[in-house]
Amino acid sequence: MRILLVEDEVKTADYLRKGLSESGYLVEVAHSGLDGQHLAQEHAFDLIILDVQLPGLDGWQLLQIIRRTQQTPVLFLTARDAVEDRVKGLELGADDYLVKPFSYAELLARVRTLLRRGPPREVEHFLLADLHLDLLRRQVTRQGQRLSLTNKEFALLHLLISREGEVLSRAQIASQVWQMNFDSDTNVVDVAIRRLRAKVDDPFSLKLIHTVRGMGYTLAVQP
Amino acid sequence: MKRWAPSALSVRLALMFALVSMLLLGAIGFYLYHALHKEIAWRDDQALLGRVQRMQAILTDSRSIEALRERPQLYENMLGNRDNLLWVVDAAGQVLIEINPPGLPRPTLPATATAQLADDPNGAPLRLAWQNMERGEQRLTLIAGKVLSEREQMLAAYRLKLGAALGCGMVLAFALGWLVSQRGLRPVRELAQRTAAIDSQHLHLRLDEYHSTAELQALSQALNHMLARLEGGFGQLSRFCEDLAHEMRTPLSNLMGHTQQTLQRERTVAVYEDLLVSNQEEYERLARMIDSMLFLARTEQAALNVQPVDLHALGEQLCEYFEGMAEERGVVLRNEADGELLADADLLRRALANLLANALRYGAPGQPITLSTRREGERLAVSVHNLGPVIGVEHLPHLFERFYRCDPSRAQPGDSGGLGLAIVRSIMQAHGGEVRVRSDEGGTAFVLVFAA
Repeated sequence: MRILLVEDEVKTADYLRKGLSESGYLVEVAHSGLDGQHLAQEHAFDLIILDVQLPGLDGWQLLQIIRRTQQTPVLFLTARDAVEDRVKGLELGADDYLVKPFSYAELLARVRTLLRRGPPREVEHFLLADLHLDLLRRQVTRQGQRLSLTNKEFALLHLLISREGEVLSRAQIASQVWQMNFDSDTNVVDVAIRRLRAKVDDPFSLKLIHTVRGMGYTLAVQP
Repeated sequence: MKRWAPSALSVRLALMFALVSMLLLGAIGFYLYHALHKEIAWRDDQALLGRVQRMQAILTDSRSIEALRERPQLYENMLGNRDNLLWVVDAAGQVLIEINPPGLPRPTLPATATAQLADDPNGAPLRLAWQNMERGEQRLTLIAGKVLSEREQMLAAYRLKLGAALGCGMVLAFALGWLVSQRGLRPVRELAQRTAAIDSQHLHLRLDEYHSTAELQALSQALNHMLARLEGGFGQLSRFCEDLAHEMRTPLSNLMGHTQQTLQRERTVAVYEDLLVSNQEEYERLARMIDSMLFLARTEQAALNVQPVDLHALGEQLCEYFEGMAEERGVVLRNEADGELLADADLLRRALANLLANALRYGAPGQPITLSTRREGERLAVSVHNLGPVIGVEHLPHLFERFYRCDPSRAQPGDSGGLGLAIVRSIMQAHGGEVRVRSDEGGTAFVLVFAA
């Protein structure tokens, strides 16, 4: 998967390039709008990550130029999160946006979602090692043993297993499980994970829920 | 098209003064002129009638008309001057006596037994009185007349004087009006000068109150109130900037100090990892602070997305969210909220979440936290109540200020950086409601009051 990153901030561009490369993507970096335009027209990319504040040709203009010829998914980054800015980006044809400062886990999740082609599969059964989640019957078993989870614990595990291997930030989890779209400055998510672990991981030797320090949580066989 | 009007208020006032005096003086002059005109006409008429009567008496006494014609001085004296005319005409239309210095044609008049008055039917400036009389077999018509030109001249002179007086009056009224309004508007100029001296550096200055002028007093008071509000807002803003800079220093100094200390010598990977994780926590704290600040800055002028909110369902959602934390502290969350409210659901959820988080953070372990609703007449009050340490009375008025902490040493890494309650208050202000707090032995309650 090839990603074009247009970002004039050298440090930002640098760590994003490193991070995305580590996640297995081929990353091309452009430090100005014109370079970005050139690269986007010369090569085919699967995703373009675009900073809005760029010297010369700004992100909005570049987005318009790109949209004239191609439908490559575009994720834009902005430090201004006024509603008008977001709406403008989406109206110009961007697919998603992130407001700086964003969590790297969040960026990775958005990139994965945008690169996932086609409609999301309607999965009813999830299987990870000896953990099995049946969405229709709302049942969770490990090593064949039925685990009794509350509604929210089930929703949390469902989120983790449907994004298996991805690191989910606390804000993402709070938003998806409880529809809390703001940072409530509490350790609600940590407590919920702790309680889920007590039921899903603690009785078994193979641990599946992992804490990624400084980022969030992930469900995987190997951290 | 813009109507022309002088820009200076004093000139405008003076013009209005002049206009008003013109109308007034004009009306008075018109009345006086007409009164005089009528009076003179009446006197002339009376004189004419008197003359006709006297002529009648003379004619009745005299032996013959001829005798009278012989002695013209008899009536000539009586007639006096060139303005007066007299005809005595018999039934055949023959003029017996004619005194007519201006040589005007004799008017033909209808017969009348009693004395009549009329203007000259030929159109000459002449006022006439006439009467028919019988003298033996003779039927005579006596006509006395007065030429009006002298009267007209006098009245014309009078009109001219009136007009001149009116003009002078207007000019005088304009000049006086201008002087008076210049003088009267002096406080306005002073007010403008004083106001011009006030800028952001001198917001503490106030305008003198003009107790003598009710209008200016109201204006200067209103301006002073505005200044007080501006000064308050300005002060709050600069205090806020100061607080903000101060609040950012703590995490930044942690970041710098910890990083420098770690870099002083080679460390194990675990130490570097610890440093990075610790840094990450500080970064998140800064990011949260910036988010909250932006939120505060925007809520105060944001358009609300108002919709009916089911309070019980919202309470359930929040209780589910805080369930885990509550259970760990042995706290039971009671949702006694009920009813429906018109509000911005996201903002209301955020306000209640902040209050519940505070209640969990500061409430006594093992005691219940209650979310309830109550009608207060027209208004709806949503309250979060917990048992726990009483908040000192001295803190209560400041609780909703940004960055206020009851105990400055108790800043926790996970807390909202002292912005949680400020956010609650600004959400309530955006809704046109208010937030109240009560804290005593019976527990601490934060109440959101919504106007119906």
